[in-house]
Amino acid sequence: MKIQQMAFMLIAVTVFFALVGMFVLTIVFSNMKASAAVLEEKNALLLASRLANSPEFRCGNAFGTERANCVDFDKVMALKKGIKKYSQAGFWGVSKIEIIKIYPTGASSNVLCTLENYPECGRIEILPAGEGTGVSNFIVLCRKEYNGGQVQNVCELAKIVITYKG
Amino acid sequence: MKINKTPKRAQLQVSFAWIFAIIVGAFILFIAIYSATKVVKTGDTGVSAKAGKEISALLNPLEIGFETGVVILLAVPVETRIHNQCDSSGNFGRQVIKVSQKSFNTWAETDVEAGFPNKFIFSDGVEEGRNFIVFSKPFEFPFKVSDVIYMTSSNKKYCFFKAPTEIKKELQGLGQENILVESLECPEQSIKVCFSETVGADSGCDITVDKMQSSVEKRGEMVYYETDALMYAAIFSDKAVYECQVKRLMKRTEQLSLLYDEKRSLLSQKGCPDTVDLQSLASSANSITNSSTLSSQDLFSVAITADQVNRQNDAATCALW
Repeated sequence: MKIQQMAFMLIAVTVFFALVGMFVLTIVFSNMKASAAVLEEKNALLLASRLANSPEFRCGNAFGTERANCVDFDKVMALKKGIKKYSQAGFWGVSKIEIIKIYPTGASSNVLCTLENYPECGRIEILPAGEGTGVSNFIVLCRKEYNGGQVQNVCELAKIVITYKG
Repeated sequence: MKINKTPKRAQLQVSFAWIFAIIVGAFILFIAIYSATKVVKTGDTGVSAKAGKEISALLNPLEIGFETGVVILLAVPVETRIHNQCDSSGNFGRQVIKVSQKSFNTWAETDVEAGFPNKFIFSDGVEEGRNFIVFSKPFEFPFKVSDVIYMTSSNKKYCFFKAPTEIKKELQGLGQENILVESLECPEQSIKVCFSETVGADSGCDITVDKMQSSVEKRGEMVYYETDALMYAAIFSDKAVYECQVKRLMKRTEQLSLLYDEKRSLLSQKGCPDTVDLQSLASSANSITNSSTLSSQDLFSVAITADQVNRQNDAATCALW
């Protein structure tokens, strides 16, 4: 009888400690998940501020002098065509990159840009797939226009939106 | 009446209940200790993985690319080893960072690594310390390819001995505490960096830069460079890391050349004349990514092509970069 009591007691103690351990582990891992989400957010925020100046997006000296937060529209359209290499490598570590024209607005402001309709469009989906939380930064979107034998630089106001899983 | 008395032997009487309690108790203790060890190990791995990711996020401001000479200090609360690993496979390769930290006086080794295809960190294979000093410089070949990042532990002091004026100015402008620029004598325990044009061969130099040959000799090994950004890279990193990262930079140069070529074709449809030969730069950069070792000739030939392409771009009606 005594042995039976002791056996039950020991099983109860073991189960109790196992449950306490599982509870502690749940808290530890939820903290880890929260840290991962914070890191993702930090990365996306910093990326939004620097992406416009990265070699794949920046204007450089193509539109006169070098300027900060200037995105080359022509280069971005070329990038859109060859984006597969970048998305396969997880190059920027985010799920979606999009550029939305803000000013001047027109009838085409909601039209998605393709090689056929550009520059008469308002949204460029560079990394198209992906859902999550978005962070954005204002940019200048510049392109070359060839009118009557003369090359003109045309710049518009836009924002770059980066979506990360969080 | 006779009573037969047999002598009683002293014996330990342990009941079954006690044996049962001891065995089960020992089992429970074993499970508890095992789980605690596992939890601590998982915690260490988690901390190392988090540190790796955090380092990457902290390096982001260095890549803004508009300001040069930005120095940041990575301070960690415990003694830390940053393993700089480089993987040159794929379209861009990968910068891999593994962090191990000292816990209870032993290094908590971890297999968890953080990988980034868009970062180029030049340092020794393992940097150890509590403070890491990081600065960056744009690598242009001829268009901007990336900001390359140099990372050194504050435990290591680099002494640039009799450096040429432009390098002296640049390093003094950084104000980095572990980089000394001396013209008389370098402190002991420092890593002495000499320039062959100003210092003779036998001057007790740890690293010798030959600007004429575009080479850096370090620990008896020779590496070659083009542009100042790669010269610093060769000084601050070991041969394996340097050559792998240069291959990755060439891969990105190739991809960017193709991107600019695509832009050129879009502009030519708009009416801009077609003059810049980017395919030659792409194939020249690609030839380096496939070679097993990096020779001076390899980099030099890409640099010549890059220079030609840059001149074509400067003369073009619609500049590409």
